[in-house]
Amino acid sequence: MEMEDPPLDDKARRMRDLLSSFYAPDPSMSAGSQPKGASFDNIDTDSFDADQYMNLLVQKANLEGLLQRHVEMAAEIKNLDTDLQMLVYENYNKFISATDAIKRMKSNIVGMESNMEQLLDKIMSVQSRSDGVNTSLFGKREHIEKLHRTRNLLRKVQVFNAIAHPRVVFYGKEQFIYDLPARLGKCIKTEAYADAVRFYTGAMPIFKAYGESSFQDCKRASEEAVVTITKNLQGKLFSDSESIQTRAEAAVLLKQLDFPVDGLKVRLFEKLEQSMGDLQVKIGDIAGALEESNDEHENNLQLGFSVPHDASVREFVEAVRAYRIIFPDSESQLIKLSEDLITKHFLTTEQYMKERVSTATFLRVLRIIWNDVLVIDEVLPEGLLHDYCFKVSQSAVKQYFSSTFSHLLQDVSDALMNVHVKPKDVSEEHHLQVALESGKNSLLKGSMDLLLGLRQLLEDNLDLLVKLRELMTDWVQAGFQQFFEALDTRFLLLSGRNKLSSQGQSPREGLQSEKVICGLVLVLAQLSVFVEQTAIPRITEARTEMAASFSGSGARGYEHGPFFLPAEICRVFRSASEKFLHHYINMRAYRISVLLRKRFTTPNWVKHKEPREVHMFVDLFLQELEAVGNEVKQILSQGIRKHRRSESNGSTTSSLSNPLRDDKLRRSNTQQARSQLLETHLAKLFKQKVEIFTKVEFTRESVVTTIIKLGLKSLQEFVRLQTLNRSGFQQIQLDIQFLRTPLKELAEDEAAIDFLLDEVIVGASDRCLDPTPLEPPILDKLIQAKTAETREQNSSAASSTTQQRL
Amino acid sequence: MQAGSSGVGYGLKYQARCISDVKADTDHTSFLAGTLSLREENEVHLIRLSADGTELICEGLFSHPNEIWDLRSCPFDQRIFTTVYSTGESYGAAVWQIPELYGQLNSPQLERVALLDAHVSKIKCVLWWPSGRNDKLVSIDEENLFLWSLDSSKKAAQVQSKESAGTMHYLSGGAWDPHDVNSIAATCESSVQFWDLRTMTKTSSIDVSHVRTIDYDTKKDHILVTAEDETGIHIWDLRKTKVPIRELPGHTHWTWAVACNPEYDGLILSGGTDSAVNLWLAPTGSRDEITSDSGQNSLSLKVDPLVNSYTDYEDSVYGLAWSSREPWIFASLSYDGRVVVESVKPYLSRK
Repeated sequence: MEMEDPPLDDKARRMRDLLSSFYAPDPSMSAGSQPKGASFDNIDTDSFDADQYMNLLVQKANLEGLLQRHVEMAAEIKNLDTDLQMLVYENYNKFISATDAIKRMKSNIVGMESNMEQLLDKIMSVQSRSDGVNTSLFGKREHIEKLHRTRNLLRKVQVFNAIAHPRVVFYGKEQFIYDLPARLGKCIKTEAYADAVRFYTGAMPIFKAYGESSFQDCKRASEEAVVTITKNLQGKLFSDSESIQTRAEAAVLLKQLDFPVDGLKVRLFEKLEQSMGDLQVKIGDIAGALEESNDEHENNLQLGFSVPHDASVREFVEAVRAYRIIFPDSESQLIKLSEDLITKHFLTTEQYMKERVSTATFLRVLRIIWNDVLVIDEVLPEGLLHDYCFKVSQSAVKQYFSSTFSHLLQDVSDALMNVHVKPKDVSEEHHLQVALESGKNSLLKGSMDLLLGLRQLLEDNLDLLVKLRELMTDWVQAGFQQFFEALDTRFLLLSGRNKLSSQGQSPREGLQSEKVICGLVLVLAQLSVFVEQTAIPRITEARTEMAASFSGSGARGYEHGPFFLPAEICRVFRSASEKFLHHYINMRAYRISVLLRKRFTTPNWVKHKEPREVHMFVDLFLQELEAVGNEVKQILSQGIRKHRRSESNGSTTSSLSNPLRDDKLRRSNTQQARSQLLETHLAKLFKQKVEIFTKVEFTRESVVTTIIKLGLKSLQEFVRLQTLNRSGFQQIQLDIQFLRTPLKELAEDEAAIDFLLDEVIVGASDRCLDPTPLEPPILDKLIQAKTAETREQNSSAASSTTQQRL
Repeated sequence: MQAGSSGVGYGLKYQARCISDVKADTDHTSFLAGTLSLREENEVHLIRLSADGTELICEGLFSHPNEIWDLRSCPFDQRIFTTVYSTGESYGAAVWQIPELYGQLNSPQLERVALLDAHVSKIKCVLWWPSGRNDKLVSIDEENLFLWSLDSSKKAAQVQSKESAGTMHYLSGGAWDPHDVNSIAATCESSVQFWDLRTMTKTSSIDVSHVRTIDYDTKKDHILVTAEDETGIHIWDLRKTKVPIRELPGHTHWTWAVACNPEYDGLILSGGTDSAVNLWLAPTGSRDEITSDSGQNSLSLKVDPLVNSYTDYEDSVYGLAWSSREPWIFASLSYDGRVVVESVKPYLSRK
């Protein structure tokens, strides 16, 4: 095959090329790989064109060449065939060997599976073994690590102790710990609690770390010791006998021992509160004691009583101070406590003020409180207690004034109500006067006292009061205003005039008051006048005076004028006084009217019997007037008489003093009735129209006269409603004639009384079927008889009434 | 006085107590007044206000047999009226008719329609059915209440029913409720009693003593005004009779007569024995306000309710009458027989 060598080379290359061209997807690649191949004569290219090649070959070559070429070609073809055969063979060979290999592999794989399972089991057992080893070693390892850490720590502690407690340094750390209980015991014995605590706290971290292990016994022992220490410390803290310092230290130590100090704090605080309670009661006692001591040895007693109080206050203050030191962060609590104390002080005071309190007492109580505040303030400067006290005291002072005013009101109305309660005690003559005077007194004295009290309060240089000065002035002014308004209402209530408002009361009550009230209403009227004319000016004066002495506050008082308006109060009371006076007059007139109504509605006037004597209603009428006179005399002042009465001799002369009418009456009879009526009317025309109902003044005469006028007018009206026979008319004539003298004595307006009496007679004659008057001698005789009888009665009774009237 | 100058006067010959508005006369403003003279020939005057209102003309003068204590004009017939009269010893009541030809005769006799003759004690007043044509009359004497049925054609009156007021009560007057024709208010010494005419029983009462006159408010239901001797005037709401809703001071002496204006709300006239007539303006508010509030009441109390006081009288004023035709006009009669007609117009304008 040597021949084949060069061609082999050639051949091999060609084969490779062919194969690659066979496998190559792109023909151009193979074309590219043989660029230098002859385009036409190269058979081995794709672009080989057999015809062209043939043509070219035929044209180029000669026969020989052609033949040669043919031989060559044939040889080449033969070669190619063999090559191809070889290749196929080789290929087949390889295929067979591959099939063999696959067959072998198949047989091998079948045995492998069981081997693999075996392997897995093995591996598992190996793993579990390994785990077992690991766990059995773990505990040991932990322990080793712990020991290692402790070692490190101990080293550190030792170093620390060496720095902090040089003494301990001598001991080894283990030694220190082991010695601790004994050491603590020693400390307890010597009461060196501070050291004990220091040791214990020093040992604390060690116990914490190894309490359960290395030093268990030690720990238990020292804990027991510490419990004893704690107990002792607590005892110390609560024992008052120990010095504050000690107690404070005890508290600090306890705190260091992690003992729940808050509980202790609360307990101690409760103790404080309790002591405050004690203090409280004492205040009340002192106030009461002061009240009692008012009369005698005031100062001594006051001193005597204030000593224990001071002591207790001091005690309290000490306690507060201690508490503060013991518990440094407790200020707010203490401030609150002190504020409570002050509030309670004032509450007690206010409670106490519900009863009557003199200004001096009040002042003293205030002073005591203020002193307390000052003392406490020293201990608790942060509390601003005096500010608080100032605030609280405002209301107390205000209440003091208001209660004073209400007491005053009560006093006045009590004084007036005495009229109801005991008219028998004092003689009937004077009880109204007494009531009026006591009313006046209590009113004036009360208000003066109040102003005096205010003055006292203003003059006092207690810091508290100095601050309150302006406010106090205002309060008193407002108080006066309210007081007088209330007084007016109270008066109205007492007089029972405001029916609409007092309707809720039981009718019985109303009836009861109806009886007694007449005089009271008069008293009220006069008292109202008094308020208007005397009390208000006096108060205003006193106030102005005071304002002068305290220019600052006074000026302010005037700036805020609307607090107290004397003018308005005056106006209110003026109208009230008039109202009361009218009410009084109406009440009295009503009683008379009731009397007259009975007199005139009862008998049958048409069948009246001949008059034998003056009817007894006249006595009743005069009695009523006497009662009025009595009341009026006590209360009202004597007015200036407008004109002296011209005739006061006897009834006879008075009856004769009006000859015209007597004449007229004598002449009048049935026949002359008509002319008589005309005459009366004429007489009326020429008479100046008498103003019957004039304005009432605040004089005895005016009031009495008005009541008489009203009574007579009622009499006239009653007469007009009746029809009389001659006897009836004569009876009325007789009664009226008798009344003439005493009435004129009582009343100031004689003209009007005369007129009204005449009117009654004229009215009676109008209403009479046969108006024949009594003969003057008979009239005189009957009247004299009556006068004598009355005189006799009066003298026998020897009543003071007549004496006074005379 | 200014009040006196505005009034129109008319003199009766004798003393007199009663005057009545002739309600049925729709053409003129006229009044009837009766004299009270024990010993003289008594008269009934028919007085008419002239059209220009400046003069009082006597339209008729009729002699009446006895002194007249009460006189009421019939609300539906201007010629008919009732009187209560006294002979001095005995009392009587009658219904009268003014004769047709009264203009020509000087003092013609009145025709007596009926005699209310069932009374035994002192008769106080006769009341007409409040409005419209009805033949019912009520007469009140001291002890009894009578309901009459008047038959003017037969000239007779029949007692329909009668009831005693009870022994302890002496009746003194009364008024017929214009809002409830079955109800009558009668006054006695210590109270005002309310009677139901259907059953003739006492329904309720107000405790108030010595009432002289009572008058219903014609415009407002449930409102009653009383005039008392001493305590002035009270205005009551009949639904709550414990407390008066208003109180007016009345007169210096007794308040005798009281009359509510038929048109203007709260306008009240009172006559007193202090020879004065007072005009009050005391509105009682709407119906709801009366029942509920008192604040408004107290507020209105502050305004002086006295509008005017007519004081130009010589004697006590017992008779008062508003004109129903011209409700701003009233007639007053004082005891001396003087009729004064006044207009309240100048005071109304202020309202």
